[in-house]
Formats: sequence, C-alpha cells, structure tokens
Amino acid sequence: MMAGDRSTIVAMLPVALAIAVFGVVYGVVARSLMGPWLALASSMIVYSGALQFTSVGLATAGAGPAAILLAACGLNMRHVLLGAILRPRVKGGALRRALVAWFLVDESFGLAITSEGDAGRTLVVSGLLAYAAWLAGTALGVLGASADALAGPAEAAFPVLFIGLAAVSSSSGAHALRAVAGAGVTGVVVIAWPAGSGFAPLLGALAASLLGPRR
Amino acid sequence: MSWALVVGLAALTYGSRALALVLLPEPGAGLRRALDRMPAPLFAGLAIVSLAGAESGPAPGAVWAAAVGALAASPSRNLLVVLGGGLVGYVVGAWLI
Repeated sequence: MMAGDRSTIVAMLPVALAIAVFGVVYGVVARSLMGPWLALASSMIVYSGALQFTSVGLATAGAGPAAILLAACGLNMRHVLLGAILRPRVKGGALRRALVAWFLVDESFGLAITSEGDAGRTLVVSGLLAYAAWLAGTALGVLGASADALAGPAEAAFPVLFIGLAAVSSSSGAHALRAVAGAGVTGVVVIAWPAGSGFAPLLGALAASLLGPRR
Repeated sequence: MSWALVVGLAALTYGSRALALVLLPEPGAGLRRALDRMPAPLFAGLAIVSLAGAESGPAPGAVWAAAVGALAASPSRNLLVVLGGGLVGYVVGAWLI
C-alpha cells in the first residue's frame, strides 16, 4: 500500500458505507423484479447505482428494453466528460487505462481529480472500495436485509462528499465562482426539467467552464 | 428485466467509461484548459442533484442541514474537515427537525 492510498481509503470509507446502504435498498427492490441471481449480477457487471435504480424504476413502470437502454445512454453521457477530464492525469498504456476505466464513478472520479498523486491509482483504490460496498450491499439486500434505519445518514453522505470535492477542486476564487455558477445552472435545470437531473450537472459544468477569460 | 438487457446496460456503461479514458486522444491545450475548469462546478452540480433532484423529491431536512454544515466547513478546502462539518450538520439537523 502506498502512502496516498491511506488518505484515499479514509476519505472514501464513509461514502463506501453510504453506497453499501443504497446497495441493500437496490438488492431488495431488484430481487423482487428480476430474481436474486440477476439482481446480484446486475450490480456485478453494471456497477452504476444511478443507472440500476433508474432501470428498475423504468421496468417497474412498464418500460421496454429500448426505453431503458435509451435512458442508459443519457445517464452514461457524463462518464465521457469525466473520462475526458481525467484523461491527461491517468498515466500508462491503453490496457492500464482500460482497467482503470472500470472504476470510474462519480465518487472515485472526485477523489482522483483532487488527489496529488497518481490519479489512476486513486481511481482504482477508491473505486474498488465503492465496488465492494455496492456488491456487499446488493448481496445483503438480496438476502433480505433492511437498511431503513441508515437510509437518512447515507443519503446525506453524497451531497456532503460532493460539496467537499467542489471545495477541494476550487483552488482559486475563479474556480469557486464557477462552482457557484454550476450549482445555480444545475438547480435551474433540475427545477425546470426534473427528468433531466442526470444531465443537469453536465450542463452546469459546461456553462460554468465558459465563464472567465479564455486564456 | 432480462439477462440480455442487463448485459446491454453493462456494455453501454463500461463503454461510456472507457471511451474518453482509453480511446480518445489526449486533449489539446485549449480543450484541456476548458476541462480543467469543470470539476468544481460539476461537483457543485452533483451536490445540487443529490439534494434536490432525486426522483423521490427533495432530500429531508437533516440532509439539507448536513449540506449546510459541509458548506460552512468548505473554506478549509480539506475533504475530511468538510465531511466532519456535514456530520455535525446532520446530527444537529436530525435533532432540531
């Protein structure tokens, strides 16, 4: 274990616990819709809480495979932007980057982009923790566990983490102002178009990146 | 939900993760400058979505209180301090609300 790994693990641990709680909720809901094995397999090979909850919600509402795949395309668009931002910071050849890409989720991206060490390694360490938590939570949910008592604190972990990551990434007043602008644009999009919540942070970030001098 | 659909979702998700990270060339200086400006507003936007944009509606009061605690600690620019601020905010919010 390298020195930077410990700080990555310490920062990621509360978030991983929150991810596990949501994994339990997902396991319970998914088991009733698709059976225990497919529910578990979905967390194992999709590894995207937002997409898995959306897919289950759409399927429960009667949507067909085409609608679910279309929703997946929309939700996954942000990964392309996250990957593009990380691309210059992840060292190594295509094979290493292909492995690292598996662990690209919002939370691990946040820690990787703000880490001072190897962004790829931070992505893998934090992503592994998130993956293990998501799988363990799903398995517990499939087995019939309940996480109702922990749902509140778990829900709080995500906004707190993202506020922290916005603060760490705001290395200047201009970055902080862009963060405020991005939050504002996102809020307007969420209010005006609730179904577009998955796109809203992307639009906010794109709009905020245009603020300030070009050079 | 079928196995084929789940495999399709997995392929789309991994493909989206790998596209920019593996297949696209390194961005040029201009694009890189623009990309460097995005993390802070992106995280701020993700915070807004997790507070206000969940499909189940706005988050409960204690979660907002946690966000206020995190915001109060954010000038430190230290992730653990912000997480601590969020925890204090959540406890106070849960007690008051």
